[in-house]
Amino acid sequence: MKKSLYETDEAILEGIRRDDERALAYLYKLYFPMISHFILSNSGTDDEAKDIYQEGVIVFYEKIKGNTLELSCQIKTYLYSVCRRLWLKRLAEKGRYAVKMEDSESFLPVEEDTQHHEEQERQFGVMGESLEQLGEPCRSLLEDYYIRMQSMQVITEKYGYTNSDTAKNQKYKCLQRLKKLFFATYKPEV
Amino acid sequence: MLEYRAYEQIESYLSNDMPADEKAAFEVLLRTDARLAEQVREHRQLLQTMRSFGQRQSLKLQLDRIHSEMEDETAVATPALWKVFWNRHAQTVAVAASVSLLSVFGTLWSVQQLKAPVRQQTARYVELRREVERLKKTQTAIINGINDATKPAPRPAAFSGTGFAINADGYLVTSSHVVEGADSVLIENEAGQKYKVVEVYRDQIHDLSILKVSDSAFTTFGKLPYTFKTAESDLGEKVYTLGYPREDIVFGEGSLSSASGFEGDTTAYQISIPLNPGNSGGPLLDDKGNLIGVISGKQAGQEGAAFAIKSAYLLQMINELPQTDTLAAIALTLPQKNALSGQNRPQQLKKLKDYVFVVKVYN
Repeated sequence: MKKSLYETDEAILEGIRRDDERALAYLYKLYFPMISHFILSNSGTDDEAKDIYQEGVIVFYEKIKGNTLELSCQIKTYLYSVCRRLWLKRLAEKGRYAVKMEDSESFLPVEEDTQHHEEQERQFGVMGESLEQLGEPCRSLLEDYYIRMQSMQVITEKYGYTNSDTAKNQKYKCLQRLKKLFFATYKPEV
Repeated sequence: MLEYRAYEQIESYLSNDMPADEKAAFEVLLRTDARLAEQVREHRQLLQTMRSFGQRQSLKLQLDRIHSEMEDETAVATPALWKVFWNRHAQTVAVAASVSLLSVFGTLWSVQQLKAPVRQQTARYVELRREVERLKKTQTAIINGINDATKPAPRPAAFSGTGFAINADGYLVTSSHVVEGADSVLIENEAGQKYKVVEVYRDQIHDLSILKVSDSAFTTFGKLPYTFKTAESDLGEKVYTLGYPREDIVFGEGSLSSASGFEGDTTAYQISIPLNPGNSGGPLLDDKGNLIGVISGKQAGQEGAAFAIKSAYLLQMINELPQTDTLAAIALTLPQKNALSGQNRPQQLKKLKDYVFVVKVYN
């Protein structure tokens, strides 16, 4: 079994830093039941459990990637704490304040981490909407260039522009529009 | 078009492929032109957001893939669920298990503790029952005695009795039920003198047997201190006996409470001495040291009702012994002089006890 590779927390962390997808998959599968149990026993659904858990994993993953994680406890505890916090927030948004959480694990205060995550979520939400409004081919063009890091050459051929200058010009226009759309709704919180 | 130029500059500045001198000039411009600086900041943020948005998107896709993969796995592999369940509830299960174990063994232990005295009680109870059975046996023996005149006295359920010397030549008297069915008989007195004896005469009707010491080493008992009373004793007279209801000699005292015995038997007295199995065949003496009877038995289930064959009948038996050489001599050699009269009880007993034997019957 590959599992034995990631028996310890350190091995998992190491695996994720190495961009080993198996490490992430192993981690994901390992703790999903715990979070799922937590969400389900605190008036959540399967889908919500999946949602919250994925957000928790993303927070964790990005912190590792950004090397900003100071893990003073087990991964399990950290994940639980983050998901717990996220779920509380989600419940509050739904207007349902859980009188008492049914905790099966100990947890840490992780407000900072989740706040950062929420801020990002908001940003990404706006970005997603803006890209949506941008429409094709602008969206794909920008994504290809800025996200998938394709060269102007490839893009020129792909979108059938006569030369790279036209493509560049097109890209500029698209970006200007996106900029307008994005900053129209997004105001960074001070 | 100025906008576009600015954009291109910003772009190349941000992607770090601006030549060094141009970059320096641009940075100077940035410091002075606030509007440009704002544009650069916005641009940078936009690009960063877009980039991490893309990363996030792909991460989400990856997680979704993992999730569906996991769902496929768990759908097939239910044991994993069990494992998860176990991991989650192992502690609870452990506590529950230890509690139940504790209560089980605790219960067993306390039951054991409770049972111990009960067992003791059962033992006592069995003892008591054996006692009852013994009484029942003697009672049955009495009833048998009524039906069968050959066994008038109840037979104590012990293989030992008491006997006493009737002359110095080695003749003794005991109850015939003591030696009934005996293969061999041994006698022993307080002093530890031990002799083998044989039954030489038996009077079934009066429940009396005459024994003779058969040991070749035996010479004589010595002079007997008591005499045999021929007349009947009076009601209320103080009487006593010595016997072996246990290993040691036991003294018992009482009074003559009736001139007739069991069921109006005129050959016996009723006496109020507490007796036990083993007392049978013992001598009954009065205050003056006269032998007035031979202890024979008691009525089961009735307090203080013991019986003794009157000495008159003992003498009668002796006198009527078959006229053989040996047996006829007994009547002539009976003790004639009472050495006990006028002495107090302990002194009487001291003299007496050497002539009272435990009769051990083996069969």
